[in-house]
Amino acid sequence: MALPFTNDIRTLRFLAGEMTQGDLGDRVGVTRQTIAAIEQGKYSPSLEVAFRIAHVFGKPLEAVFQWETDTD
Amino acid sequence: MSFREKTHWAAFIGIFAAFGWYFVAYPWHIIDTPAGVGAVAGMLVPVTIIIIAAMAATAAFFAIRAPKEVYVKEDERERGIHLRGTHLAYYPLVLGCWANMIAIFYRFTPGVYLNILIATVVLAELVRVGAQLYYYRRGY
Repeated sequence: MALPFTNDIRTLRFLAGEMTQGDLGDRVGVTRQTIAAIEQGKYSPSLEVAFRIAHVFGKPLEAVFQWETDTD
Repeated sequence: MSFREKTHWAAFIGIFAAFGWYFVAYPWHIIDTPAGVGAVAGMLVPVTIIIIAAMAATAAFFAIRAPKEVYVKEDERERGIHLRGTHLAYYPLVLGCWANMIAIFYRFTPGVYLNILIATVVLAELVRVGAQLYYYRRGY
């Protein structure tokens, strides 16, 4: 089932010096596979992990995750 | 594929192969005799050794190839996957318990009870590990 939000993690990683999924995972405290699942919209991370990802990029949460407006 | 997923594959294949052999090779014609109970014990020993040895060898092989992955801690997605697999394994366990209770009411023999219990545990393990592998492949 598709998640009701999208994310810009891939773009933000690219802009952060082409950071790898593994590097981001190490900094957030999750595995590379989990970052890949979040990026692809297959896994909805906990609020803590979402905040940690945003913190790595120095962005607010809404700059990383966007709620789909046509979704309830 | 993560180290944990690889060891899950080893467990699934090991359990399937070892207990597949057990259920094919078990002497069903003597199941109602004391020798049938002895056969269960005698066959469980090599089956257990095969599974443990296969899993240890696979884990060692992948640990040598990618030592860093061994120390990666389980994260929230993996914990969720493991919980979902364990939850699904509960259903075959309940079914197996009921099957065994019915077998006791109908006064089957200890060899039958033992084999129903073994089949229950094996099925539950295959469901648990199989479901976890499915969720690993799907992402969550």
